[in-house]
Parts: sequence; C-alpha cells; structure tokens
Amino acid sequence: MKRLKITIPLLLCLLSATVHAQGILGGHVTGNVQADAQLCRADSVIGAEAVEEIMRMNARADILYTNGDFSAGLRFEMYQNPLLGFDPRYKGQGLANYFVAYNTKRLSVTAGNFYEQFGSGMILRTYEDRYLGLDNSLLGLNLTFRPWDGVTLKALAGKQRYFWDYGEGLVRGIDGEVNFNSIIKSMQDSKFRATVGAGFVSKYQPDETITLLDDPEYKLVLPKNVGAASVRADLGYGGWSLQAEYARKGQDPWTYNDYIYREGEAIMLNLGYSQRGFSAGIQAKRIDNMGFKSMRGVSGEMLFINYLPAITKNHTYAFLAMYPYATQVNGEQGLQGDVMWKIKKGTLLGGKYGTDLHINSSVVTGLVTDSIGGRGTEGYTVKGGVGDLYYGDVSIEVSRKLSKSVKAALTYAYQVFNPKVENEIGPLHHNNIVIADVSWKVNKKHSLRFETEWLGSDSHYDASEPAPDMRAGDWLMGLVEWNIGTHWFVTASDQYAYRDGVGNYPSVNVGYTHGATRLQLGYGKQRKGIICIGGVCRPVPASNGLTFSLTTSF
Amino acid sequence: MKKLLLALAAIALAGSLMAQGAKMPENISLKTVDGQTVQSSVIQNDGRPVIISFWATWCKPCNRELNNIKEVYEEWQEETGVKLVAISIDDARSAARVKPHVDGNDWPYEVYLDQNSDLKRALGVVNVPHTFILNGEGEIVWQHTGYQDGGEDEVIEQVRQLLK
Repeated sequence: MKRLKITIPLLLCLLSATVHAQGILGGHVTGNVQADAQLCRADSVIGAEAVEEIMRMNARADILYTNGDFSAGLRFEMYQNPLLGFDPRYKGQGLANYFVAYNTKRLSVTAGNFYEQFGSGMILRTYEDRYLGLDNSLLGLNLTFRPWDGVTLKALAGKQRYFWDYGEGLVRGIDGEVNFNSIIKSMQDSKFRATVGAGFVSKYQPDETITLLDDPEYKLVLPKNVGAASVRADLGYGGWSLQAEYARKGQDPWTYNDYIYREGEAIMLNLGYSQRGFSAGIQAKRIDNMGFKSMRGVSGEMLFINYLPAITKNHTYAFLAMYPYATQVNGEQGLQGDVMWKIKKGTLLGGKYGTDLHINSSVVTGLVTDSIGGRGTEGYTVKGGVGDLYYGDVSIEVSRKLSKSVKAALTYAYQVFNPKVENEIGPLHHNNIVIADVSWKVNKKHSLRFETEWLGSDSHYDASEPAPDMRAGDWLMGLVEWNIGTHWFVTASDQYAYRDGVGNYPSVNVGYTHGATRLQLGYGKQRKGIICIGGVCRPVPASNGLTFSLTTSF
Repeated sequence: MKKLLLALAAIALAGSLMAQGAKMPENISLKTVDGQTVQSSVIQNDGRPVIISFWATWCKPCNRELNNIKEVYEEWQEETGVKLVAISIDDARSAARVKPHVDGNDWPYEVYLDQNSDLKRALGVVNVPHTFILNGEGEIVWQHTGYQDGGEDEVIEQVRQLLK
C-alpha cells in the first residue's frame, strides 16, 4: 500500500508534465525491460537443491520519460521468488525506484531515487548492480550546480534503499570540484592538466542500545552523527597522469568493526603513463577501518554509503575469477601494476599482424596491528609494515592475429589466495592457470570461438568438512561458441574437476539478439561460487536446471 | 503473473513506438580521459551520423568490437564521415585504466567516462557492449546489444542507409 501511495502523485506529475510541455505525445520514452528465470532441479553431487516454487524469477523495467530539460523515471521490480543467490528479503514486487529531474547546462536537480558519486567514491557512491542484487540509491534530493565551466558543486540528502524499504540513517553530503584547464584561460591548451576536489558526508542515525559483550549492563555511547571527508587531485602532463585521493572518517562504531571507536582512513594513489601503443600504470591503496554504512547494525552488502573497490584486476575468464578477491574494508593495503604493449606488425615479435601483450600483477596484504581492546575501545593501533598476505597474482596475456580469419589469445596466471578473505580458515591456495582463446571467422556469416582453461591448485576437496570448498582441486574447462550472423549464438561448455575435487558442470546456451533485444535459453549446472562485479562479491549457490533471460532496451 | 507480463509487454511496446526519434540527452555530465567534466551535448558530428559505443576495460566483446572497428575506421570515415564515440562505464575500480587502455590499444576514437552510469541509465543500456547510431539531428535511429565478429558490418550498413 505504501508503494501505491507514491505512484499516484508521481503519475499525476508525469502526466501534467507531458500535457504541459508538448501534449501527450511530446517528449519521449526510453528504458529497458529484463527478466531472468530459473527452473531448478536437485543435484546431490554439486549440492543443488530443488525449490518449492519450481520456478524463480527476477524481472524489472526501467521507464524514463524525457521532455527537453525535464525527465522522470520509474522502476518496477519483481522477485517471485528471487533467483538463487539473491537475498530472500527481495521477495515481492512493486515500484522500487522513482524520480523527477530537471537538467540544464548549469543546474541539475533530482528529487526521488538518485545515484551519485563524490570523487572515486571513497566517502560516497550510491550505485546499483542488478546482477549482484545490490541497490543503495538514496531517496531524497540531489543538486548539482555548475556556475562556470570547470566548476562543479554538489549537495545531497536522503535515505538509502534497503530491499523494499529505506534505512533509517540519513545521509547528507557536499562536494566541489575545480578543473583548472577550464577556468584559467592560459591553461586551456596546456600540456599540464589539473583537477582538484573535496567532499564531506555526514550520516545521522538515532541512538540504539549496544552493550559490551562481557558486561551487558554497560551501554555504549554511540555517535549519532558520523562525518567523513576526502580530498583528491587528478593531475596530468603529456602522457603522464597521477590521481590521488585521501579520505578520513570520524568515530563510527558498527557491526563490521565490532563497535570500536577508531577513526577510519583510506588513501589511493594511481600513477600512469601512456603513449600510442604502450601504457603502464601502478596503483597503491591502503584502507583502515573505512567501511561506512548508513545503519550501524546491518551486515551484508546493503546500505554502504561509500565504495572501496578491490585493487586487483577484474578478471573475466571463468578460472581467473574462481578465487576472486574482495576488499577488506576493515584493513588492507595493496599494489597493482599493469603494462599494455601493442608490438608493431612486421617486427620479429609482432609478426605479420602485430601482437598485443598485457601483463598485470597485484598483491594485497593485511595491516600490522596491535590490539588495545575490543568493543567500546579504540580497537587497535597500526604499526608500519606488511601483514598477512591476502591475495597475490600475476597474469600475462599475449594475443595475436594468426591469419586474416583466426585470432588467438594465450593467458598464463599465478595466484595466491588466502581463504581469510572469505572469512574461512585454512592454508593459502596456490593456483596456476592457463587459458587459450581462439576465434575463427569461418566466413561472412559464421564464426567460431574455442576456449580451453586449466586450473591447477594445491587445494583438496575434503568431504568431512562442514562446508567443503566446491572449487578445490584441479580443473579443466572447454567452451565452444558458434555465432550465426549477428543474431544467433550457441555455446556448449563443461567445467570438470579431474583431480582432488568433485564436480562436472556441463551447460548449453542458445541466444538470439535482434537490435537491442536479447533472448537467452540455457540448460546446465552452475558451480557454487562467488560472483564479483567491481570488487563486490555475492555467493551463488549451486544450481541445476533451465534458465531463461530476456533483456530489451528501447 | 500474467497481468505483470502483459504490463511489461505493453510498456515495451509503448516504449518502442515512442522511441522513434528519441534524442540524445544533452545535459548529462561525462568526463574526458583527461579528467575534465563535459556535458553530453559534446557528442555530435556537425550534422553527420555518430556511432556511440558503450564499453568497459574488462569487457572482452567490447574490446573485440572496438579493435575490429579500428581496422576499418579510416575507410568508414572517408566514406560516410561518421564518428565513433566510445563511452566507458568503468567505475572507480578501473576508471584510472581507461586512458592507458585507450592509448595502449591505439584507438582513434573520442572517449568519455560515464563513471556514475548517468548516460548509461538515460539511454536504457543494460549490458555492454551496446551500440547506438545517431543521425545528423542527434536522434537515436538504431541500437544493438552485444557483439559478435562481423557485427561492425551491420553498423556501417545502418550508417550508409542514413545517408541515402
């Protein structure tokens, strides 16, 4: 009922805007519709369970109406029942999101649900990811003012979406950014580029009763308002670029840091050099107690105000992403380096068509800390130095066109993974991964792609554990993709644990694309694992059965 | 359930009927690869067609598409005067890699960052790659999701149709 109430004024608002501006058919509508469904079967070997509803489905439609500077949007969502792996609290359907906005060159105003980001998001980023089932949009008011070219000022206030409701924490923020090349005439064509910015975010949440663990009589005095601020710079000279951001957060005892009163801190540095055909970059990051949520008692991925992405590369091949790294918001430090080189054609290494070389490496460790107490204290102090290894990898990808119609890419990667990252205890896993990816354009209409992956790991499947790791052991994977014209594709793949592990995950998929509409039908098994997008991860249970998916944009 | 699907279908139908001639939004903030904030009105080509390609550094098919188009881009430009504008949806995790990625791949395109996904949302994009063609008036006349080898032939064919 609550949802219905908001629809009526909104529809009226939409309607009046349409009529007012250019009659009913003035302006235009854009948007998208997506539906994903699963028919699940039980499979005791991989641990997939049948579900009572037989079918699970997520569906949504985003509708955006634009008329000149005015726009309004609605989002309908349905989870009946949520797909496996999505939080069961999503169950239901209704209007999930709505806004009206007015956008001109100098001013943007949004009332309703909005997505905003200050700098790289270290103190504030509201975003959504439909594949992770994550939406932390703010419901409130968002203003952006650009008084001159090169100057952006933002102010916002609102409450964050929490499944079908909103968290009680109130979030307020301001941010400013100046680009010197735009405001200083003599710098307009300068090789030197500079942008600086700063932001401040404050959250308010009423008091609640949190007691000491060993003394339930002793109630913590919780800060009702918690502030976080950041400063940043984005500098460049010719092919060089340097981005830096530093953020600090006031005392914020909450469930993830076990209600300690230590202040939070994060720093990110990014140095890059690039020229035509070559680039190199190095990134450094350190996070200390910087998880920032609008409600202190909520665990999980919802209600985060800030965004602290993983420093590691976002791998897309299945086995490279099998042991994914997730940011440890309580404390981590890391380095990442990256080199891309397009070796010219006609040279010894380049061959007839040229060769692409891509090397990436990252290492993330914990901080070295001294505990000074638990809940209700400042928690710990940080000593310099390098703590436990959380994650490390190095990958080399060589890709080359072999003939007019054949392209091949070969990847080798080595990974070290600490189960602690997923809150598990155990020894480090060491993995070697080799991937060959060959595509062949058979003729104008047909093309084929073959992908073979191998993963050798020193982890072993142990059935006696309460929750054995379904990824353990050595794996092989094969995939064949057949593209027919630009409309149809068929894929068949299998992932098989051939040593020290269990599981065989065959699957077939058929897809049809027409313009901005895509239909896909699949049948097969999915490994219990973790889906990560942008360093945010969500566990997916094993499943076995038929899947259907439709997306269309208009 | 039935009602819901009907409603969705009706919305999609209404949308597709009205979408003819939908204009490219003008006042959405984007960033250049050099960190400068610009409005989406910069995406234009003096009355000639524009191809907009949404991509991300981590998206394999996007990279295949943009690399394959690179090989024929000069011919396309000579023949039709078309311009390709590549919009990266990389977020804070990889946004700093966009400029090195573009330079490293030696892409000749105009590239903007849509880190907050504002333009992506405004144009109803669900997944990358997603390609649009704008006519000389900045109206969206064609769009396509996904990329399969040879998909660029259809893109240029659509551009040629526009010029007839």
